Amino acid sequence: MKNMKFSPTRLSAKVSAALAMSALIPVLAQAQTPTLSNPTVSAILDGYYQSENRLMAERTEGFGLGETELAFSASIDDMFYGKLTTVFESHDGTSEVNVEEAFIQTMALPNGFTVRAGRFLSDIGYLNNQHLHTDSFTSRPSAYRAFLGGHYYDDGLRLSYIAPTDLYWSMGVEAFSGDSLRAADEHGEREFDSTGVYTAFTKFGGDIGIESSWQLGFSYLRNENGQLTPEEHDEDEHEEEHVEDEHAHSHSASYTGKNTYVADFVFKWAPNGNYKYQHLTLSAEYFRVSDFMVPELHDEHEEEDHHDEEGHAEGNSKDYHQAWYVSGVYQFSPNWSAGLRYGELDSQLQHEEHFDAQELKETELSIAWHNSHFSTVRLEFSHQSNVGFDNDLSDNAITLQYVMALGAHGAHQF
Amino acid sequence: MLWLWGLTVHINFKLLISGVLLSLSQQAFAQVNIFTCEPEYAALAEELAPDARIYSATTAMQDPHLVQARPSLIAKMRQADLVVCAGAELEIGWLPMLQMKAANAQVRSTDKGLFFAAEHVDTLDKMANVDRSMGDVHSLGNPHLHFSPERMLLIAKALTKKLVQLDAEQTEAYQQRLQSFSKRWQAASSKWQEVASQLKGMKVIAYHSSFRYLFDFVSIEQVADLEPKPGLPPTSTHLASLLKRAKQGDISAIVVASYQDLRGANWLAEKSSLPVIVLPLSVGGNEQSSDLFSLYDNVLDLLIQEYNAQKLLAL
Repeated sequence: MKNMKFSPTRLSAKVSAALAMSALIPVLAQAQTPTLSNPTVSAILDGYYQSENRLMAERTEGFGLGETELAFSASIDDMFYGKLTTVFESHDGTSEVNVEEAFIQTMALPNGFTVRAGRFLSDIGYLNNQHLHTDSFTSRPSAYRAFLGGHYYDDGLRLSYIAPTDLYWSMGVEAFSGDSLRAADEHGEREFDSTGVYTAFTKFGGDIGIESSWQLGFSYLRNENGQLTPEEHDEDEHEEEHVEDEHAHSHSASYTGKNTYVADFVFKWAPNGNYKYQHLTLSAEYFRVSDFMVPELHDEHEEEDHHDEEGHAEGNSKDYHQAWYVSGVYQFSPNWSAGLRYGELDSQLQHEEHFDAQELKETELSIAWHNSHFSTVRLEFSHQSNVGFDNDLSDNAITLQYVMALGAHGAHQF
Repeated sequence: MLWLWGLTVHINFKLLISGVLLSLSQQAFAQVNIFTCEPEYAALAEELAPDARIYSATTAMQDPHLVQARPSLIAKMRQADLVVCAGAELEIGWLPMLQMKAANAQVRSTDKGLFFAAEHVDTLDKMANVDRSMGDVHSLGNPHLHFSPERMLLIAKALTKKLVQLDAEQTEAYQQRLQSFSKRWQAASSKWQEVASQLKGMKVIAYHSSFRYLFDFVSIEQVADLEPKPGLPPTSTHLASLLKRAKQGDISAIVVASYQDLRGANWLAEKSSLPVIVLPLSVGGNEQSSDLFSLYDNVLDLLIQEYNAQKLLAL
């Protein structure tokens, strides 16, 4: 749709331009449709300034580049679709380039089946399959940072199915190499399974009247390499390494376990179902990562627990980590939106032969200005309080971020 | 008595079986499942394939550019035999995601069960060179086609062809429906043309180019847009420039579509003492617009009422 201002000079310029270009239009129009020779190209620019370091966060103190991505996608033929996403990041003076997506997907399998192969974002949970630039906060909730390394993408295979029902019902299974979800292995001696991660997920969803929509999901992740590595510990060495881990930028999970369960819920509302002006998004997720203790360690630990039942009030025999968050984001005009998120992480840190409980509570308030659908500038205040993380990180952090999309920007997920 | 009971059970069972078979066969052969992106195409499908199961993804109260690729829409598209959309990139922000998630190969290509209205008519305002600094513009032209009687007739013909391609058994029924629709549409069109002659030369300020084809058809001139650039909401500096333009005295009304925010329009109306006309964007945009015919009737009514009132005031 073109802007309708008819100043005479402009009009005549337009007419002559139109005449000159008319021969080109068919060519250009054809070139607009993504094809193999002309794939959809899009770029995301993400830069930020953050006042303090945050635990397990993707962004570090100072100026940096977030997920600056370049993506190509196209239908390969009538059967296959392909996408390649490369991500450039820079933190603390180090830059890295990662291939985050490089997958093919079937387009024409019958009966609602789809196969995806290559490197892609796992479909567990609500946020994981969404690209970071669509988030309403500058960092993922602690659940994602602790258990999935921010967001979990990996090399593997997915089979998914969508049922032919009015109630949305989809389900799928995935198998991944699971390298980034391996348990820590200080001495590099452990033999890990080369196919380490299997997932299964199902999602339901629908509308309530014309104004509201919802989606509910359940996921399970089996991590063959998630249990801790059994070994004797030199405490000092271990301690050092772990602290370093917390600071360093890493795509690996900080806490792993054999079994991970996720439940997620999303609710969206817009007056008259019209998302142009105002809309509300409420979401919540719960993660439980369990069975990280190796059997002999578990026994020893329980024994020990019995011994100092009195001395160690916080002495801790939990064989699971858990985390959850709730978030609400309201867009009150096409130009402005605000979000509030609260999350807790409850994890166990191994100290020689016993485990210490850790707790992290985070509150984030973000305010975003959108000049258009494609440009966002966001200011976020975050407050965190922790117990058991040997860290002198400040309680409050301020982040200023921009996220902008160039080129043919793909459609967003719900 | 027992044998009698046995007989009734037997008969009922037979009835039940035949009933199930009948409904199964109806499901399998008779009922085409149509998913439309906008309500105007649901209304058109209603005219051309009244026996079909028709679902519209949006209402006339929603901006068709900004739609969530929500679970309910994915579930509906999963079951669709035919998807009817405006095209010309109007749905580019959500339709591809629905297609990807619905895993329904039948509605992925226009060779099969996908139908883009804009591909069957000439669109207005095609642009050779599109840049995002121009706002949310589409190089393939203005996709809000449904207020062009001429184009809607062409679209109806093409859609009938598509229906015949997908459901050849009912070819005759589709042809009859099209004939009946064409006859009524052409009669109505000449009536609208006549009525519209009263509006010739009317100048308006409108929100977005939602009514580009309507204004083209009835020779109304949209001298300015409430949006500073397509897709961007009105700003105060832009509204101030519109007020200046309005004070020249040749503008009769501010026209806004049923889904659009009224704040900018109301501010301008108050300052310039111009009336605001809220037109239904599509079928269902107000109580009177229950199908394509009554939509046109209603829109012309609303415009003429206001234009005549303005003329009286001027006297």
